[in-house]
Amino acid sequence: MTVKSEDLQTDKNKQNKEEVRPVTYWLRLLLKSKTGTLGLIIVLIIVCVAPLAGIIAPHDPTQMDATKMLTPPAWLEGGSMEYILGTDNLGRDIFSRILYGTRISLLVGITSVIIAGAIGIALGLLSGYYGGLIDTIIMRIVDAFLAIPGILITLVILSVVGPGLWTLIIVLGITNWVEYTRVVRGEVLSVKEREYVKAAKSIGVSDLKIMMKHLLPNVASSFIVISTLSVASTIIAEASLSFLGMGIQPPTVSWGVMLNIGKDYLAESWWVATFPGLAITFTTLGIIFLGDWLRDILDPRTQMNGK
Amino acid sequence: MLNYIIKRLLQTIPVLFIIVFTVFTLVYLAGDPVALMLPEDATPEEIETLKSALNLDKPFIVQFGTYVGNLVQGDFGTSFHYDLPALPLVLERMPATIELALAAMVVGVLIAIPLGIWSAAKRNTGVDVAITGGSVLGQAIPNFWLGIMLILVFSVNIQIFPVSGRGSLMHLVLPAITLGTGLAATVARLTRSNLIEVLGQDFVRTARAKGVNKFVVLFRHGLRNSLIPVVTVMAMQTSSLLGGALITEYIFSWPGIGQLLVQAVHMRDMAVIQAATFVIALAVILMNFLADITYRLLDPRIKMH
Amino acid sequence: MKRFWFPMVVIGVLSIFIITGCSNDKEEVENDPPLNEDDDTLVVAIPADMASQDIHNHNSTLTESIHVNMYDYLFQKNEEGEIEPHLIEEYENIDDHTWEFVLKEGVTFHNGDELTAEDVKFTLERVAHDESLREHFQYKQIDEVEVVDDYHFKIYTIDPDPILLNRLSRIGSGILPKDYIDENGWDHFLENPIGTGPFKFVDWSRDSEIVYEVYDDYFDGAVEDWNKLVFKVVPEDSTRVAELLTGGVDIALNVPNHEWDRIDDNEGTKMESTTSQRVAMYLLRFQEEYPTSDPRVREAIDLAINNEVLTENVLGGGGVPVRSRVTPGNMGANEDLYDTFNYDPERAKELLEEAGYGDGLEITLNGPSGRYTKDRDVQEMVAAMLEEVGITVNLDLMEWSKFVDLRESFKFDDGFFITYGNSQFDASLPLESMRTDFAKDMQGYENEEYEELLDKAEVNMDLDERAEQYKQAQEIIAEDLPYVYLYAEMVNYGTNDALEFTPRADEMIFAKDITKK
Repeated sequence: MTVKSEDLQTDKNKQNKEEVRPVTYWLRLLLKSKTGTLGLIIVLIIVCVAPLAGIIAPHDPTQMDATKMLTPPAWLEGGSMEYILGTDNLGRDIFSRILYGTRISLLVGITSVIIAGAIGIALGLLSGYYGGLIDTIIMRIVDAFLAIPGILITLVILSVVGPGLWTLIIVLGITNWVEYTRVVRGEVLSVKEREYVKAAKSIGVSDLKIMMKHLLPNVASSFIVISTLSVASTIIAEASLSFLGMGIQPPTVSWGVMLNIGKDYLAESWWVATFPGLAITFTTLGIIFLGDWLRDILDPRTQMNGK
Repeated sequence: MLNYIIKRLLQTIPVLFIIVFTVFTLVYLAGDPVALMLPEDATPEEIETLKSALNLDKPFIVQFGTYVGNLVQGDFGTSFHYDLPALPLVLERMPATIELALAAMVVGVLIAIPLGIWSAAKRNTGVDVAITGGSVLGQAIPNFWLGIMLILVFSVNIQIFPVSGRGSLMHLVLPAITLGTGLAATVARLTRSNLIEVLGQDFVRTARAKGVNKFVVLFRHGLRNSLIPVVTVMAMQTSSLLGGALITEYIFSWPGIGQLLVQAVHMRDMAVIQAATFVIALAVILMNFLADITYRLLDPRIKMH
Repeated sequence: MKRFWFPMVVIGVLSIFIITGCSNDKEEVENDPPLNEDDDTLVVAIPADMASQDIHNHNSTLTESIHVNMYDYLFQKNEEGEIEPHLIEEYENIDDHTWEFVLKEGVTFHNGDELTAEDVKFTLERVAHDESLREHFQYKQIDEVEVVDDYHFKIYTIDPDPILLNRLSRIGSGILPKDYIDENGWDHFLENPIGTGPFKFVDWSRDSEIVYEVYDDYFDGAVEDWNKLVFKVVPEDSTRVAELLTGGVDIALNVPNHEWDRIDDNEGTKMESTTSQRVAMYLLRFQEEYPTSDPRVREAIDLAINNEVLTENVLGGGGVPVRSRVTPGNMGANEDLYDTFNYDPERAKELLEEAGYGDGLEITLNGPSGRYTKDRDVQEMVAAMLEEVGITVNLDLMEWSKFVDLRESFKFDDGFFITYGNSQFDASLPLESMRTDFAKDMQGYENEEYEELLDKAEVNMDLDERAEQYKQAQEIIAEDLPYVYLYAEMVNYGTNDALEFTPRADEMIFAKDITKK
């Protein structure tokens, strides 16, 4: 084991230490992990592409051309440089659609994770800090949510409110908060017994203040790790819901929508579904790599053992 | 231990009530399915007639009260689509879904655990990176996509496995792989990280220092201790496994609860949605309960408190 | 570094292979699906399960197409859509309210009981009098069925009903065994149904398959080519096609047009198509607050849509442009409005200019998604066409059950996309939805002349005059445009080459008419 024992002690006053550490320290840590580096590169590319889609994309993503339906990618026979990755069943440029799709897929992924995180952390803090009846009620609700597969509850809610971009985001948000609550509650239970929390309480600091000042920062690292991985699973969930007919509806372009259109053409025109499929796979891959790395460096336990 | 079991069982009652209430409320809000039951050009008058014939014009509390009353007696209502009691309809599909889920778990265990061990044993080598990368990929591929690809490659092009339906063992292979891949990926990653953690602990280091054969260390000391949490996690995955079954069953025309549910959601077949959700939740709770008990029996550390 | 990057590249390449895998090489494997010759089983892949065993309590064409193999109708449509006596020896329309029929002798149910007029009375009065049954609305015209003797019966209708025979040759008219049901109860019947048809019921595993076997004593001679008939439920389109290509099934229903080449190119399978009764259309609002209340705007929309691009490019030849919902083969069809369309984008722009929308017009159109063949693509394409003439369309697509809510609560925006079928093979049903008592609430459409024509036609026992009235009515609709009609869909079947199978416009699958080559 190469990590020195002092790293173990640091977690007790992690808060102070984090401020001291220079950017180069994180960069060094990052470069030590090759998967982490790869993950970060992929994520950076995606994040940059989303706002720049309008500039990079060669075509309007909704521009149809009935004469150029299902044009193959440029390097295949019948393809042209005008449509690098080919066109779909209505003659729309796949490359441009993927670029624009990045926006929606990221929007869905990130926004719903923020909603889930907000609900989850709030309930986790309440549950862990106050305990008692509140804790019991919240934990039973958590149990109930854990017992129903996420996609099922999402499907049922969407069939009630009707699919749409924002409803989808909100529904994915309110169905995925459970994990945060469980983890945050666990952390709060251990932190609230610490001396400085007890001290703050004894001098009459308000509960809200204690939660915000002393408890919340402690759950930050768990939040970052869980939410990174959640973004990935949310992007996949969006695609799966599209497959079941309850996802985002055209003309909005998302990767899930594209994949769902493309799956019908797999046998003859594989490119329609393959490129959005690859976009989903590699984005997820990048996010998972980045998330794993974050977990490794933010969680002192695995930092010691794994790398 | 007995007290614990009783306490856990009592805890499931409010959980089940929350589930029933939530799903009932959702389905109630969804509005009535009458318009979906009639021809596409039915008149409003026709819709009203059918609605009152089906008692759908009563207030929420009355409907919910009646519902819970019936539910206690095992009556989940009648499926609008099939015109049959909902619970038997769901239970009829249980064996198919259990078969698929078990097969997926077998795929998960048989592939994932050896790979996880191999990966941990060869840590930081090409093998490790390949297995880790592969398992991340397994988590990153949407399973409907995987299912369609498997059919295209293994049923249409190479024609090894039948395309769809339930029957022989061969019918089971592709759906089980489709459903099991996500689980396998999770289990492989978990086995790897647990094993690495255990191998780093003192008693293992001591054994190694004493010159015990490295395979003995790996299997006797490492594996035994690292597989307990893996078993628990697999039980916890029951929920997402059953969620994945929704899609897998639809693609492979597998006549299980998942296919029934997808159809019921599209048709707003309230009774079936409610019964199926209840049965699935009960199955998940039961699995977790069993895993929890096993865990307590196996792991001496927890037994003590 | 090598240690890390090499496997990553391998994984990358592998994943690309898996994803694109073997999918674009058409010639590599030739599938030659064998027809199950040894066991004489005809297997049909259907996109959804049979809705019910109760022939009176469903409204699914698909379910009817299964049931026709085990029940017989009194009258049956032939392949041209003409109605012919089937279980009936002779019949007469005595007066406006009375019809007299004579049953064929020697027709037996699957338990050996002979078919009698009592069975007919039981069957038709059940559906005519029980309001909770979903087919009730198609049969409520029937007042009473009077049994004269074992083979003679009379039907009395409440109003003159010129299309009684159409009703008797569709869903809900399969004759049920009265004695068998009286003896064993209705629930027993649903579990073990019997009819007089060429096949008898064996098993139904829900969401999986429906199994029938041949009935040796069928009155019209037992089916020779098949011993067993299996309907296999395969909801996912690509899976259904894969089953056909690999010989798992002999006929696959609802094959989307992008799969046609794959089936035709494959050795041993081919596509069979025919026109159907289903017509795709846009409903438009007439209420004043909507821009579509201006007839010029409606006409502009009609002129902006190039129906042929929809049928040829989007549907790949899977449709016929139309200007009426009543397709040929239906009584009262106006053939002048079939296989034709109005397209003139320049005139459309002028009309919009005249209507005061020279600088553009924005409308919102709702529509179902994933319900009908290529519905999303068609709606997106129409939106693009309207854009061309200066109408910006906000496309609001939604899942079917949500769409039904929107339509039933009249909360849709300027208009919506819909596809309607017609199980009656008569103009009356499709034209009903433009009548005032329905269309006024729906979209605010009202036309007195149309109303009068339909009032007359509805009870007109002079069939030729009646057809003329319906034709005129369709002209009015094509002029007023409460609906802008797009195309009549084709029904498309993938079949095994070894089969002789002619698709029918009513989408029924009569296994007795399907033979081996």
